[in-house]
Amino acid sequence: MSDLAEIIDRGVRAYVTGRIPEALAAFQQALALDPQNAKARGYLVRIQSTHPGAATAPTSFHGRVPLPDVAHPEPPAPTLKPFDVSTPVEELAHAHAAAGDGHAHHHEEDFAPSPWDEGPAAGATIVLSDEGAGAGIDLSAVSEKSDLRPLVPEGQAPVLRGPPTDVDLWLKAAKELFALGDFTGSLELIEKILIVDPDHGEARDYLRQNEATLVSMYESKLGPLHAVPRLAIKPEEVMWLNLDHRAGFLLAQIDGSVDYEGLFAVSGLPRLDTARILANLIADGVIRS
Amino acid sequence: MSELEPVIGIDLGTTNSVVATVRDGVPRVIPNRGGLLLTPSIVAVAKNGKRLVGALAKRQAITNAENTVFAAKRLIGRRWGSKEVEDARQFLPYQLVAGPEGNDVRVQLGGRTVSIPEISAVVLAELKADAEAWFGRPVRKAVVTVPAYFNDGQRQSTKDAGRIAGLEVLRIINEPTSAALAYGFGKQMEKKVVVFDLGGGTFDVSILDIGKSVYDVVGVGGDTYLGGEDFDRRIMDWLTFAFAKENGGVDLRQDKMALQRLKDASEKSKCDLSTAPSTAIHLPFLVSGGEGKGALHLDKQLTREKLEELTKDLVERCIAVTDKTLRDAGLRAAQVGEVILVGGMTRMPRVARAVRDYFGREPSRGVHPDEVVALGAAIQAHALVAPQPKGEEVLLLDVTPQNLGLMVVGGYFNTVIPRNTTVPTSQTHLFTTVQDNQTSVRIAVLQGESEKAIENELLGEFILDGIRPGRRGDVSIEVTFAISADGIVGVSARDVATGAEQSITVTATSGLTEDELKRILDEQRDELLERKQTTREFELRRDRAMALVREIDGLRPAVESALEKSRFGKDAIQKAETVIARVRQAIAARDAGAIEVEEEQLDRTLQLFRALAAGGPMPAGG
Repeated sequence: MSDLAEIIDRGVRAYVTGRIPEALAAFQQALALDPQNAKARGYLVRIQSTHPGAATAPTSFHGRVPLPDVAHPEPPAPTLKPFDVSTPVEELAHAHAAAGDGHAHHHEEDFAPSPWDEGPAAGATIVLSDEGAGAGIDLSAVSEKSDLRPLVPEGQAPVLRGPPTDVDLWLKAAKELFALGDFTGSLELIEKILIVDPDHGEARDYLRQNEATLVSMYESKLGPLHAVPRLAIKPEEVMWLNLDHRAGFLLAQIDGSVDYEGLFAVSGLPRLDTARILANLIADGVIRS
Repeated sequence: MSELEPVIGIDLGTTNSVVATVRDGVPRVIPNRGGLLLTPSIVAVAKNGKRLVGALAKRQAITNAENTVFAAKRLIGRRWGSKEVEDARQFLPYQLVAGPEGNDVRVQLGGRTVSIPEISAVVLAELKADAEAWFGRPVRKAVVTVPAYFNDGQRQSTKDAGRIAGLEVLRIINEPTSAALAYGFGKQMEKKVVVFDLGGGTFDVSILDIGKSVYDVVGVGGDTYLGGEDFDRRIMDWLTFAFAKENGGVDLRQDKMALQRLKDASEKSKCDLSTAPSTAIHLPFLVSGGEGKGALHLDKQLTREKLEELTKDLVERCIAVTDKTLRDAGLRAAQVGEVILVGGMTRMPRVARAVRDYFGREPSRGVHPDEVVALGAAIQAHALVAPQPKGEEVLLLDVTPQNLGLMVVGGYFNTVIPRNTTVPTSQTHLFTTVQDNQTSVRIAVLQGESEKAIENELLGEFILDGIRPGRRGDVSIEVTFAISADGIVGVSARDVATGAEQSITVTATSGLTEDELKRILDEQRDELLERKQTTREFELRRDRAMALVREIDGLRPAVESALEKSRFGKDAIQKAETVIARVRQAIAARDAGAIEVEEEQLDRTLQLFRALAAGGPMPAGG
């Protein structure tokens, strides 16, 4: 399974850096190994919908693995900002054009909110630069006469935008995964970012969103949180399971006297981890509510 | 069933607490809401911020040690800087700090500084709530037990804890006395009874002189750091070393989760071995096996024989302490009329055997050792509120728990009222001056057992001036100690020649000032009110939200069918599921605010579903 994860990882990296054929090949390879792999299937659907030509690559999987309907709605992206500033302008234009293509019926939330809805307009941001003197304001002349100052101190080399860093790539991939509904995958990448840059604001926002969504998903599998879970297998069968020591600890607390809320309190683990372990124990038929 | 207001007896233990009552003339223990008779005296703030009491708090006592307060009884009523507090600081994993006046002890719990009576109050409130659930009506009055050696400050602190918990403490009684009461001793008997109390954290030996329904504690001894937990630790150590040996040196003590399970399993196996000759300790997936390896299991068989071997010295210590206590009281084992076993550890056959061998007689076994103290307290509580038939009254006299006296020259302690003196009482002693022409004396009122004044508890002090100048030793100063039935100590000093007099009234204090106590009680009242309001608001919102959820669920089949024929609104079901999941999460978290936020989304979802189910156009924004 680690090969599969690597292949998917390679595909995600290729996809987010625009190397679509490479991404396509990776996801198809992944599906060959695991035809039900949701992440690979999700990316293929996305590639099909955004790059129709790429989907007709010679190694297309349409013949072997039925793919979900391309019209399947995407999970909602986190409502962190009115719109995603990292989305390329071309994509936005494309999206707007597509939105107007024969669809007369739109929902309000399909569009970014109007700035007029958000209260009085703020003054437009003006980015001042020394470059292109003569084409606009003569900054050197103005700066002597007013308080107007360039944002970059004189003599310092302007910061050039280099190739995307790992953090950029991870963040983009995390957003893609979030949009595809792969919150666990998204969370893994976000955690990688936060190891490198613990104060990364956007990553923190996504961390919260991912965690809240996952906790909600796992808890929905537990049922009422005041219910008392019980062992669904014989005690002597427990050791034949494949658990880690944290799951072992939680399982040891399940003795028919503690409800789920109590387990969250005594586990000492983050709520997400506890919810995930309990949901897995239920899914595996080890415990029942 | 009598119409009397229910009253309870509480054994507020160092490790476990028990609540009992008398119903239809029969004393019985009230099970807690978890169905257990013992409630661990542990209070914690879990890592997720939830306040835990009792069994749940115990389950995470090791994994969340810094925010789990146990053995608060060791600290209640103690002075900051005292030997007992310094000893406790050595082994308690939670943080102790001095109170605002610098004289009492506080703990840091969940980011707050909390007094010890408040901690004990949480346990008492839990027991009160258990009793109320059992009776089905409010409980306001209780008798609470304390060790016989507790001083007035510790007793007052326990009373304050009761007050904070919303209980009127009718009486504080000594634990050994309570145990003797439960056995019905005192009726038609005159004998010396030894109460051998080996609890979870402490060992107490008390000698009672019972005669004509008077319970006189004539001797107290013990070891405040010897109890069931020491026995558990021996098993834990044995398991830890065996596990390390079998698993390439893996040290379970380095893993808090493993240690917690090890502790729980050790205690359970110890209890099992009281009735079975051997027990299996099976802890699957106990600790990580390391990178890329599965978790390791612990499987071990423990026999009673092995347990006795591991704990031999602990049992011997109990007997040595018992022997010393009897010697101090001038008593031989053969003079003892009855031996009562108290505390869960006395169920260990080796302990019971050691007691029998020492005293040369079988200990009394009629009452369960875990329950006996609480049952006695319940009997006393019942006797205080219910009229007793003539001749059957249980007369319980309050006695002074420790010597009362004052400091004399050289820093020594001079006893005026010896311990075990029945109150109310009054004693007068004559003293004299230490210097020529001395016109004033300092009267330092102390309580304790040590000959050195500094090692005893200072209850209060005052200056008597206006003394007739004279040669040292010629002046007579009469000092009178009086203790009222309420335990209030009055001390007066009078110059016999001039009649100049000064006095002081000492009311035992818990370290909490009256203002602080009032503030705590006010806060609790506010919190209770707030909780009631919050609960009401939450219940209203929850019911409203769940009604919407049910309606949405009911429309779902029709909506799914409608969506199959439509090009639009394919995501309606998914969106509804997301909203419902958020609502369920808010309900689980009892967050009325979050439910309110989601209610609007539920409304919109319902409108959309209604429209889709009816086959009509989707509402705007839906």
